Amino acid sequence: MIHVRELTKSYADLRRGSFVAVDSISFDAAPGQIYGLLGPNGAGKTTALRILSTMLQPTSGTATINGYDVLTQPALVRRQIGYVSMNTAVYDRMTAWEMVEYFGRLYGIEAENLCERMETIFERLQMNEIRNLLGAKMSTGMKQKVSIARAIVHDPPVLIFDEATSGLDVLVARALLKTVMELREQGKCIVFSTHIMREVERLCDRIAILHRGHILAEGTLSELAERHNESDLEELFFRLISEHDEKQHGLLATVL
Amino acid sequence: MKWANVKWIYLREVRDQLRDRRTLFTIAVLPVLLYPLLGMTFLQVAQFSREHTTPVLVLGANSLPETPRLLHEQKFDTNFASERDAKLLELTIESGLPERVALEDLPAWAEQQIQEGTYDAVIYFPDEFAQKLNDFRARMQQEHSADEAARPETAEEAIPEPELFVNTANDKSRMARDRVDSVLSRWRDSIVVDNLRDRRIPSVATKPFKVVSTDVARERSRRAAVWSKILPFIVLIWALTGAFYPAIDLCAGEKERGTLETLLCSPAERSEIAWGKLLTIMTFSMATSVLNLLSMGMTGAFVVSRIAMLGGDATTKLAIGTPPATAVFWLLLALLPLSALFSAVSLAIAAFAKSSKEGQYYLMPVLMITLPLMMLPMMPTTELDLGMSLIPVAGVMLLLQSLIEGQYLEVARYILPVMGVTLLCCLLAMRWAIDQFNKESVLFRESEQWGLGIWLRSMVRDRRETPSLAAALMCGVLLLLIRFFASFMFAMPTTWEGFAMSTVISLVAFIAVPAIMMSMLLARSPTKTLLLRSARLDATAMAALLALTLHPANVAMGVLVQKVYPYSTDILEQLKAFESVINGAPNLWVLLLVLAVTPAICEEIAFRGFILSGMRHMGHKWVAILVTSVFFGAAHMILQQSLTACVVGMVLGYLAVQTGSLLPSIAYHLTHNSLSMVMAICVPKLIEAYPGLSFLFSDGETGTLYQWPAIAVGAVLALGILNWFRNLPYEHTKEESLQEALDHQSAGLPVKS
Repeated sequence: MIHVRELTKSYADLRRGSFVAVDSISFDAAPGQIYGLLGPNGAGKTTALRILSTMLQPTSGTATINGYDVLTQPALVRRQIGYVSMNTAVYDRMTAWEMVEYFGRLYGIEAENLCERMETIFERLQMNEIRNLLGAKMSTGMKQKVSIARAIVHDPPVLIFDEATSGLDVLVARALLKTVMELREQGKCIVFSTHIMREVERLCDRIAILHRGHILAEGTLSELAERHNESDLEELFFRLISEHDEKQHGLLATVL
Repeated sequence: MKWANVKWIYLREVRDQLRDRRTLFTIAVLPVLLYPLLGMTFLQVAQFSREHTTPVLVLGANSLPETPRLLHEQKFDTNFASERDAKLLELTIESGLPERVALEDLPAWAEQQIQEGTYDAVIYFPDEFAQKLNDFRARMQQEHSADEAARPETAEEAIPEPELFVNTANDKSRMARDRVDSVLSRWRDSIVVDNLRDRRIPSVATKPFKVVSTDVARERSRRAAVWSKILPFIVLIWALTGAFYPAIDLCAGEKERGTLETLLCSPAERSEIAWGKLLTIMTFSMATSVLNLLSMGMTGAFVVSRIAMLGGDATTKLAIGTPPATAVFWLLLALLPLSALFSAVSLAIAAFAKSSKEGQYYLMPVLMITLPLMMLPMMPTTELDLGMSLIPVAGVMLLLQSLIEGQYLEVARYILPVMGVTLLCCLLAMRWAIDQFNKESVLFRESEQWGLGIWLRSMVRDRRETPSLAAALMCGVLLLLIRFFASFMFAMPTTWEGFAMSTVISLVAFIAVPAIMMSMLLARSPTKTLLLRSARLDATAMAALLALTLHPANVAMGVLVQKVYPYSTDILEQLKAFESVINGAPNLWVLLLVLAVTPAICEEIAFRGFILSGMRHMGHKWVAILVTSVFFGAAHMILQQSLTACVVGMVLGYLAVQTGSLLPSIAYHLTHNSLSMVMAICVPKLIEAYPGLSFLFSDGETGTLYQWPAIAVGAVLALGILNWFRNLPYEHTKEESLQEALDHQSAGLPVKS
């Protein structure tokens, strides 16, 4: 469903020259699977997911979603995905219903079908109380629900969640994770990025540990535990990151 | 592009703006309140000046003559003051000077009284004023009866001088001066009449003739003339302001609030988003303008009627009154294209801005560029002609003026160029706006510390095979600046040797060398940048042939440009000097070396080499060619030459892109310049020798021209050759390939619901 090959993104930077945010990463995610991207802040998770959602163009490498290329067929890719990120806000001056309806319209869904589908979604996400509430008056949790409703209104085969639980309290975060699991049950292919180990452990079928633009390890939780001889994910994560940093410093030391 | 999506985006944005109190305040509340408030203030001022009483001190009333009587019952006599003035001028009358004030201290004392506000004006009639008046009258009598020879000159000092003290820096005092002045001058006129009557001269003697002024303008056209200058300006200023603020909220504001990313990950295409937002901005721009117009019109009508009611003659004085209905109709019609243009420009700027605050900074530069274009048509000497009609904004305003004044013939003549230019500007601005939405560097711009040193260093360090867009722009601007300053520093040489030397040096040193140096510094592959690779021989030959076949059309275009924008006398003199210098050339070959070979090589290296290679990173080959040609045209300094050079530049750029080599462009440039030289120097002699050639050439006012059949045949052949170039496989840049792929991605999929 999602195939990422040697994906690289570098930015021009006045001081440092070019800055590589994502460095030649490759992974695959299948339907009915939650693929976790685990990494500290600045690891390149958001950049990678922005490329998958066609908001950024890769410098090199390819990524296809449901067979469509993110670089050359962005409009088609966007029809295949629902994207929820800490950067995708809801409109302040629109109610929950209006906002979801608006995006449904942009996906070209007929008015009748759209209404039916929205009723189901609002029911499932328990959003009926906030149906007529303006975005400006919503709590963070309510806004997140609206974002999810907006992302699934067109029933896309692929869903991308970028740090979707950041800033949410435990109850709301838990509800969100439950929704994500339900979406997996429906056979969606889900990419879920986070820096919280517990979420990955509870949710993800496969994970990639991302650090400074590189994938340090990739596989199912048990595969990783076996390969690195470490059953605790947090320990594994720290070990991989510090090993990588030491290696980098070592290399730099030989250069200097 | 799906118009349904544009519609949904438009509807959402309009609703969103209408729910925003700030927008509503700017577009609806402000105009509705502003004009009545201004009108009320104006009325208050008018009322004040009408009803404010003016305390005036009259000193030396005892010296006033009995007749004609100036004062009557503590007031000015109503023979000399209108009833209102007599009522409003509150007089304090003293028979002589105030106590303990000497005559020489009077000015200082009067100044103090006015400063303290006790009086607004002080009039002093000196001692024996009446006596002096009588003396003056007697002396005139004497002069009248005396012989011509014995007539004494009336001494200046014999004329009595009452003094009026006022403070013109004080509004009330100035008003007092006007009122007292008018009373005193009427009183003086009456004394003159009395004097004349004494000498039995009829009073009409003071008016030996009377100017009868008749305004031939009908009342309606007089009103139209005033409104045609004021209305477009006001409407356009509001159209611009009304576009700018919603644009900032719709783009920079959405970036700040994080909702732009939400919209960008929806299936709506960037162009659909841009169009939806553009239409919203246009709606608000027009609404602001119309509301301002309505509010201003209604307040204006009310104020004028009130002033008329107060008894003033403001309507006739100001020659206004309500604008004619047709004026308003034409105005609304012209508002459409202009508000589209302003909206597109505002949209592009607002899309570029990172935050609302940054967006607001850009308003001033936009106004600085637009205001002169709006002021130009208001200047008394500016008239609608072909040249003016090609200037954006100014052309539409002039067209509008003609429409309001009812000069429909003029309008019919220029409507096509005006609308063409406006439409072109709209499309370019829209293209720019859509490009902004496509650029990730614009959409996800982080603030970065910027310094000229760091930037220049990064340009060298991060250089790619061919120069970046920024490097190309920098080169273009640099060449123009060098050219501009060099034209001031070096005077036009008067001898052929001096001319040849300065031309070759300036082309090599100021055009070719900077471009070559920049390509070595700012590109990893200077040869690829400057397209220094061999071309197919047939392509080079075809380019030369193209120059030959297009030359008649080029010459005709030059003549047309000169008709639209005639040379100024200064330029004509320069051209004459240039001609006489050229005639000093030893032979044609040297002339061609200096004016055809050298520019062909140097200018092609700079423009089709460095600048075009950089511009092609934009991803649109035609835009790259156009921008390069604009630089090429601008480098020719003289407007008329710039316009033709710009068009020739398009062909040169096309050849460079299609062949990937500089040789065909050089061949075209060389042939083109050579033909122009040969036309100017050899063809007249040839026609003289072989009159049969006149089927090809004709003698025009501006030199030798081609005949129409030659132009037509040449153009047809040129089209064929251009088609041959079109079929050449050309090398795309990475950006151009991506753009093509994006343009060709299939339109959509069956929608799942």
